[in-house]
Amino acid sequence: MKKTIIINIGNSIVHIEEDGYEILTAYLNEIKQHFAKTADDFEIVTDIENRIAEMFAEILQAGQVKVITLVDVESVITQMGRVQDFQTDEDEPVASNFANYTGDKKLYRDTDDAMLAGVCSGLGHYLNIEARWIRIIALCCVFLGGAGILAYLILWIAIPRAITRSERMEMKGESTNLYGYKRNFEEELAAFKENMQSNPMVKRSGNFITEIVSAIGRGANALGRALSKTIAGIIIVMGSAFLISLVVCLAAFLGFWDTETYNYFPLSIVNEGYRSTIAFAAFTVLFVPVLALVLFSIRVAFNKTAINKTLSFGLLIIWLAGVSVSVYYAAKISSEFKEHAELVQTTPILPFSTYILDADQSMVLNREDSINYQLDKGGFQNRTIVDDSDDHPFRVPRNVHISIEKSETSKPLLIQNYEAQGKTFNIALQNAKNINYSFTQKDSTLTFSPRILLKDNANWRNQEVHLTLKVPVGTRLMLNDNVYSYLNFYHYNCGADEYQKGVYKEWVMTEDGIKCKAELNKPVEGQ
Amino acid sequence: MIAENTQTQMRKGILEYCVLLIISRGEIYASDIIAELKQAKLLVVEGTLYPLLTRLKNNGLLSYNWVESTSGPPRKYYVLTAEGLQILKQLDGTWEELAYAITTSQNGVSKSSTPQN
Repeated sequence: MKKTIIINIGNSIVHIEEDGYEILTAYLNEIKQHFAKTADDFEIVTDIENRIAEMFAEILQAGQVKVITLVDVESVITQMGRVQDFQTDEDEPVASNFANYTGDKKLYRDTDDAMLAGVCSGLGHYLNIEARWIRIIALCCVFLGGAGILAYLILWIAIPRAITRSERMEMKGESTNLYGYKRNFEEELAAFKENMQSNPMVKRSGNFITEIVSAIGRGANALGRALSKTIAGIIIVMGSAFLISLVVCLAAFLGFWDTETYNYFPLSIVNEGYRSTIAFAAFTVLFVPVLALVLFSIRVAFNKTAINKTLSFGLLIIWLAGVSVSVYYAAKISSEFKEHAELVQTTPILPFSTYILDADQSMVLNREDSINYQLDKGGFQNRTIVDDSDDHPFRVPRNVHISIEKSETSKPLLIQNYEAQGKTFNIALQNAKNINYSFTQKDSTLTFSPRILLKDNANWRNQEVHLTLKVPVGTRLMLNDNVYSYLNFYHYNCGADEYQKGVYKEWVMTEDGIKCKAELNKPVEGQ
Repeated sequence: MIAENTQTQMRKGILEYCVLLIISRGEIYASDIIAELKQAKLLVVEGTLYPLLTRLKNNGLLSYNWVESTSGPPRKYYVLTAEGLQILKQLDGTWEELAYAITTSQNGVSKSSTPQN
């Protein structure tokens, strides 16, 4: 982009670019000076101007352009001829008078060669001393009670900045004719080219602040680029691995896993008919953004376009489709948790003065155990193990809760409360009925199963069992850490300073609920 | 430097004569004169021509007519005046003399052809 100037030459209006204008003005001035001594200077200059205007018109017409450029001006000047090429009638060498004419110097600030505001370099130009000596003097003055700073500030304000080319030339005492312009222009161009080669962002000047900033900028830029490439590389590797594993997972979901896998939480949430659709949708939802991330990283790392618009739009549409399918099925499945149903079953317990409560560790069976114990052949037909151990990542939410309460009557009993969710109440009730919970009493030992088993490969619908053990006041209960986590109160350190695994502690049912016997006695001892 | 100076002196007079000759063939525009001079291999820049034409005009050898131009400002078309024609004839004679002088100087009196008048 260049600024254009509208000029009136030979009574015609011409748009001319600024640099071309400067050269043309200088050239015409030169011509005027050249012919100033002849009697017919006005007529000659007018003739030349008219001819230049005509040549401009021809250029504009021939090239179908609207603006005269520097190149056009140069070609016109070549055709018209330099002043020293004019074969003058007089023998006096007129042209040489102007070629190296040194005009008066003017004091400007040179911001092109500035440490701060170009005051010193401007003074250097004016006094024809290298700027560094002025700077040294100025720095010495700073230590003379700061006078240098004040002087600098005053000069900064007082001296105008050399902005235009002619001002810069006046500052350096160069003549403002065409040759001065041309030389100045060429010098500037050379300096500009040099700057472009070193760093396009920052002008290469003596300004140490800009140099420091640019050095830091360059360093940070290089570091940032290296860092972003490293990160991009890591993303490419990780992302590709993730994509491959996603494909493997999808294949596993759809083909290779047997049906029993789906009985594990959280896969057991999904209804059988939805499985492949949801697997595809979830695959898309995960796969597409990771793929996009990997493609973007490839672009960052190798500086090439790894993805075109059509492909990215296609990916976006596929991803949105995957999201909508996922959302649809998520909504559909979550609607199956809408209604809640409870089943209550009360079982009498044989009375004992002391009960031992235990969680049935032997019931913690994994799939291999099921096969080993041949559960399918036994009484466990169509029953599956929802959760096989506590240390895998997809733990089923704790679904067995035990509370121990005071019995209103003298008879101990166990209230089993089966709960489940469902789309309708009937379905919720059916889901609750599908709960197969095992509780056994052997003499005074009450054994709870820590887990729910579901019949008929049923889906997980937040099935829960709330057990309420009601015992008469004064009944003693022996509890250990196996059952603590299922109880709705939590005092594992009853009477002990530290956690003791597997050690039974004695608890007593009082009027105020169950109490730790060791702690119950404490206040008494204190009194 | 000396050769250059002599060349300039020689060219100066011949240029003026050539320009008058070109204009004598009919009304002509300045840049067309340049084109003719280029064909004649007498190379000058346009800037040289304008002061020359102005001087010749002021001396009464040339006059010009303004002619409207399709591109740019109106053009000056130069023609030879009666006085100009007269001077051109004088110059023709001078040129014959000079040409004779040159060939004679180059080849000696015996080999050179005699001037026509």
